[in-house]
Amino acid sequence: MNVIYTRLRAFSLGLFSFLLIFGTNPSNAYSQDGEKLFKSYCAACHSSGSNQLVGPGLAGATDRHDMEWLYEWVKDSPSMIESGEPKAVEIFEKFNKLLMPPQPVDNDEIDAIFAWVDEINAASAEGDGVASSGASSTVDEAEEADDSSQTTYIILAVVLALLVLVSILRTVQHSLKLVDAKRKGEELPEQESMWTALKTWIKGNKTIVALIAMVILVLVLKVGWDAALNIGVYTEYEPEQPIKFSHKLHAGENGIDCNYCHNTARNSQTAGIPSASTCMNCHTYITEGPEYGEEEIAKIYAALDFDPVTKTYGSNQKPIKWVKVHNLPDLSYFNHSQHVTVGKIACQECHGPVETFTVGKQHSSLTMGWCVDCHRETKVQMENNGYYDEIHKRLPEKLREEFMKDGKITVSELGGIECAKCHY
Amino acid sequence: MSNNKKYWKGIEELNDSPVFQEVKHKEFSEYIPVEEFLGEEENTLESSNTTRRDFLKYLGFGVTAASLAACEAPVVKAIPYLVKSDKVKPGVPNYYATAFSDGHDYVEIVVKNREGRPIKIDGNKKSPFTRGAINARVNSSVLELYDGKRLKAPQIGDKIVNWGQFNSTLRKQIENAISSGKKVRLMTASIYSPSTLRLIDKFKEEFAEGDVQHVTYDAISYSGMLEANKASFGILALPNYDLTKTKSIVSIGADFLNSFPNSIALTSQYGESRRPTKGWMSKHFQFESSFSLTGTNADVRVPVKPSEHAAIVASLYNQIAAKTGGQKISAVATEYEERIKQAADHLLKNKGESIVLCGLNDASTQIIVNEINNLLGNYGNTLDIENPLYLNKGIDAEVNQLISDMKAGKVGVLITSGINPVYNMPSEKGFKEAMAKVKTTVAFSLRPNETTAESTFLAATHHYLEAWNDYNPVKGHYVLAQPTIRPLFDTNQLEDTLMALTKQSGSYHDYIKENWKSLIAKEIGFEDFWINTLHEGYYAAATIKEATDNQEEGSVGADINAAASKLPKPASVEWEIEFYQKVGIGNGNHAYNPWLQELPDPVSKMTWDNYIAMNPSDARENGFATEYGEQKDADTINITINGTTFKGVPVIAQPGQARGTLSVAVGYGQVIGKKDEVIGFNVYPAISTKNNPSNYSTEVSFESAGKSYPVATTQTHHTIMGRDSIVKETDWSTYANGSKEDYNPAHELHTHAGLRNVKDVTIWNRDIRDRAGHLWGMSIDLNACIGCGACVTSCNSENNIPVVGKDEVRRSREMHWIRIDRYFSSAEEQLPKSDRSYRKLEVPEDNPMVVHQPMMCQHCNDAPCETVCPVAATTHSNEGLNQMTYNRCIGTRYCANNCPYKVRRFNWFSYKNLEKFADLNPSQDDLGRMVLNPDVTVRSRGVMEKCSMCVQRIQDGKLTAKKEGRMVLDGEIETACASACPTNAITFGDLNDTESKVHKESISDRSFRVIEEIGTDANVYYQVKVRNIEKNNLA
Repeated sequence: MNVIYTRLRAFSLGLFSFLLIFGTNPSNAYSQDGEKLFKSYCAACHSSGSNQLVGPGLAGATDRHDMEWLYEWVKDSPSMIESGEPKAVEIFEKFNKLLMPPQPVDNDEIDAIFAWVDEINAASAEGDGVASSGASSTVDEAEEADDSSQTTYIILAVVLALLVLVSILRTVQHSLKLVDAKRKGEELPEQESMWTALKTWIKGNKTIVALIAMVILVLVLKVGWDAALNIGVYTEYEPEQPIKFSHKLHAGENGIDCNYCHNTARNSQTAGIPSASTCMNCHTYITEGPEYGEEEIAKIYAALDFDPVTKTYGSNQKPIKWVKVHNLPDLSYFNHSQHVTVGKIACQECHGPVETFTVGKQHSSLTMGWCVDCHRETKVQMENNGYYDEIHKRLPEKLREEFMKDGKITVSELGGIECAKCHY
Repeated sequence: MSNNKKYWKGIEELNDSPVFQEVKHKEFSEYIPVEEFLGEEENTLESSNTTRRDFLKYLGFGVTAASLAACEAPVVKAIPYLVKSDKVKPGVPNYYATAFSDGHDYVEIVVKNREGRPIKIDGNKKSPFTRGAINARVNSSVLELYDGKRLKAPQIGDKIVNWGQFNSTLRKQIENAISSGKKVRLMTASIYSPSTLRLIDKFKEEFAEGDVQHVTYDAISYSGMLEANKASFGILALPNYDLTKTKSIVSIGADFLNSFPNSIALTSQYGESRRPTKGWMSKHFQFESSFSLTGTNADVRVPVKPSEHAAIVASLYNQIAAKTGGQKISAVATEYEERIKQAADHLLKNKGESIVLCGLNDASTQIIVNEINNLLGNYGNTLDIENPLYLNKGIDAEVNQLISDMKAGKVGVLITSGINPVYNMPSEKGFKEAMAKVKTTVAFSLRPNETTAESTFLAATHHYLEAWNDYNPVKGHYVLAQPTIRPLFDTNQLEDTLMALTKQSGSYHDYIKENWKSLIAKEIGFEDFWINTLHEGYYAAATIKEATDNQEEGSVGADINAAASKLPKPASVEWEIEFYQKVGIGNGNHAYNPWLQELPDPVSKMTWDNYIAMNPSDARENGFATEYGEQKDADTINITINGTTFKGVPVIAQPGQARGTLSVAVGYGQVIGKKDEVIGFNVYPAISTKNNPSNYSTEVSFESAGKSYPVATTQTHHTIMGRDSIVKETDWSTYANGSKEDYNPAHELHTHAGLRNVKDVTIWNRDIRDRAGHLWGMSIDLNACIGCGACVTSCNSENNIPVVGKDEVRRSREMHWIRIDRYFSSAEEQLPKSDRSYRKLEVPEDNPMVVHQPMMCQHCNDAPCETVCPVAATTHSNEGLNQMTYNRCIGTRYCANNCPYKVRRFNWFSYKNLEKFADLNPSQDDLGRMVLNPDVTVRSRGVMEKCSMCVQRIQDGKLTAKKEGRMVLDGEIETACASACPTNAITFGDLNDTESKVHKESISDRSFRVIEEIGTDANVYYQVKVRNIEKNNLA
């Protein structure tokens, strides 16, 4: 029996993150207490709806059982089963003979929990189909992405308006000339074409034209140069992924440590894309996301041929083909563990505020200049590292003084920008 | 001494002939293949009608298209594991201890796996038996795993079947054969796996009503030695040799560093006995015909005819018997009595610490060799017959019996496994014809070969890196071999089929476990045994029941006189031919491996061919070419050996070859590559045992075929031109009694301030940052280096070195980062500079001495290459490494021109994808690419490359140390060449660490640097070669 207790406790610990996810569910001021209590005591094994996790969903529990029975059950279900209470035994048998550990709650708290459960079920029955609150926050961001193209449209519109204005003014000018000629009785002038007018103007203003030409040339060269430098640079590269995974939700809102999923970053060259089995640590029970519902999580299940109802794995497994975001060319060697473990650099320094990204994207340019700049600035983490103690000891006094002029020994001073540190 | 000897790499250099002059001055051949890499294969640039205008159009279009293409982000997929094993971390290698055994070589190894793919093989340094040694064949074998030509599924006839069908059909065939009174025979290479042997016994029991037998067939037979040991000691096995404490080694035709039972372990032991630093070193006498790898390392080498080997053994016996009270035997006098006496005296001086070895596959000769070792008291000291080797078990008589049974139609089922008898059996035995009389022939093979072509059942087997097994190579030493990758194809191993045939369930893995449960004493605990043995790779115990026991009762003590009367007699014929094994190819088991074909033979420096080797004087007398190069081909002959004629085979002048003898390597004439190109010619069919042992033949005649044959030799490639302080050597007494000044004087330069040590003179201003932290360096002991080339193939596999093929090797375009320079030298003092030829003196090519010198980038602190690079693609690191940045390189080749060591290699082609190289290069298809080391860039066309001192390993070692917060330990980081070296001749480490081995060696008395006088301040040190010979007689 103890084994089962321990397992269940392990479940509650392992699914700690699960608790946090419910932060996006509708809340009600009266049952605030209930929600909190539900999350800390029940959510590891029960859903607040009617779907089954480890145990049954709590929706409708108050209809199925009377409150007295529920109090007893929640506080000490094992003794109920032992005493042979028929309903208790039935539930025990139905749920794979898994014992629900006694919960340290009093009757008031149990009332609050079920009140909250009933309330949200009533609410969802009314507002069936209403998107959960999580979705609304992403709308603005999608619009922001179009910001730069909007500027272009505005400029184009202004240019167009100016051209129309020029044309109107020319017509006006011509009409005035006609009127003037008619008044003077002169021959009526024909309107010269825009092109001839321009040529005449150029002939009369060579200095200005030369200046403008030079400015344009410089601009074209500058734009061309920048474009050339950007060949192969994919900052902000944000490819569509097979699963709409949101770092914002997992790392941001739920506060899951980067290393939990990218667990080889500390000891390997690659940070590692988590295997589907890592996802299943939580998603065995979390079958529904706040934004896309079951659709995206179902893709993990499809890959593993997992049946979320029976919680069993099939044999028809297909790997998930993610699109790689950070593509370093083959000629350069990069090692995450050097930076994460030895250099003690936070992930965000290179990858940006990942915890706010809904879609994974390349934050830094990943150019050699970008690497070298950082290596020139960054202080080597020498404290409490026997390796650097010895290296430091080996430095000649003169050299040490030279290095310490700016108060720190930088990566490049220890050879961190030499070719064969990355290219071999 | 070094300054009064002349060193030469080949006859071309000795005579300073035009061929050599040209190669010497032009590291890169004149012809530049612009046509080939700009044009199409057939439609070359010249013949195409592209005009300049068209060219400019294409160029413009190309540039635009490239820039447009570059704007599009490439979509790269990343596919993580679905369920990740906690043992596998992407980017972090796993290592597995296992063993290599192909019936020819045996060695315990450690396999490096990346993301589940084996990519590198090294020796298991913990093994007390093979001592971490390895050879070129073993470390190249990882490539064979990814060979696209492998058999991919079992076949019956031409039909692909599944294993269930295969096994049940085979069982029916066996039952039918037995019921019709036919014999069933299992023919394999030597098996010393306790579980397999037990399974074979089970197989025999299962069909006990019929005549089921197991016959062992070794392509290179040591039957003579086995029979001799049975006669002398009653044990049908080979003794376990120990050369580590052997002060006197006499070998008569035994190439024990290359082709001998357990040669890999012997190499390691030999290396230890050759180190002078321990106060003594072994003295090695070699009597032999062809110039073997072992012969190049001997202190005293006597070229003799192969038919004289037995007479020399007899004469040596008599000399020793006279002093030790043995009975005299009748012996034919030879012309080498003085040398034999010298050897006998030395042996007698070191009784109990000496060894006599003979390579002749003849029981009578081996009985006398046994008796010599017995008289010298070597048994129990340097030879252990109580704990014998089980590596070779093939008895010629049993094989002959099998063939006559087959011919007589008595055999109904023949199962062959791991052997290719149709290819390597002498044609006089008529194996192929005999096979046609067997109804059911089953071949277990890795890839199609001559035997599978004649077999009705084709069993596609696992590569050894995919299979489970256990081995008992020597009494009291057990090894578990574990798979390092899941089988790539629908393959199986012999044992699986034996289990199916004997109706046992489970896998062979389970069977091995069960077998060991019964063998391991209860108190040890099976699980502990199993996990420990898998981890360490071996299990040493004298207490367990012998699973393989070849000991048979027999009369102990052979009749010496009877043996003496049966010795092969010296022949008085004009020509004799010896069959030998080349260092890379061996018996031909792995001839399809391009890394091995491109490995230059350590003695002849030939690649991609076998040939008839002849003494240069004999060659000149017969009017054959003695010098070879891109423009100079070898001559060809038609040669008849034992009645078999080979037409138009090349003949090569080999310095050191005994006069009047020829030699030819076995193992060739097999197909290689995707196009099944035949390399060399197969001489196995010509071997006969009618008149003499299988090692040689006296029935040989030849005539000039009058044609020329292009050969690819690397001997004059990358020559360090006209500089003399390259190798330094001395004799034992000078070393032992003299000081550094006597044998390794410092190089002094004339300066305005008088004579100064070259180390103190420099024209460079050194940045204070240089050498501040680490200073990576290497020390190479010329005494320990035997020239085997294991480092070259190890480097191939670590650093993704491309294979270029014979044609390109001929143009000096081999890509090896490390080469072994083999210098011949002769005793005579050098003439004045004005006349550097030897023609007036006795012929220096007849028996030259050899120095093997591994040469790779010397990582000069003041590197000449760095100063001439116009784009700073080669620069110096503050850790003493000469760095090569491929992406900066624009291919001017200035650096190579300015390198005094000639160690830089230029990528003339895109070996990784050019059609011309698709046939041979592993990196050209998805399967072959799996062998590439993911940490090392695959270089593309137009860039220079060279030894990086395995910078990827240095970086990895440093990172491990940093993560663990400690300094890098000495010996923790090893370059690929150092880790492969069977004699530990190469030491790598941090020269700034005063406690490191490499630092100590670098400041030792024997330490010198190659062409130090030019002031490159290299980080690679060499140790003076000490020969165990009389003073001032470096002969």
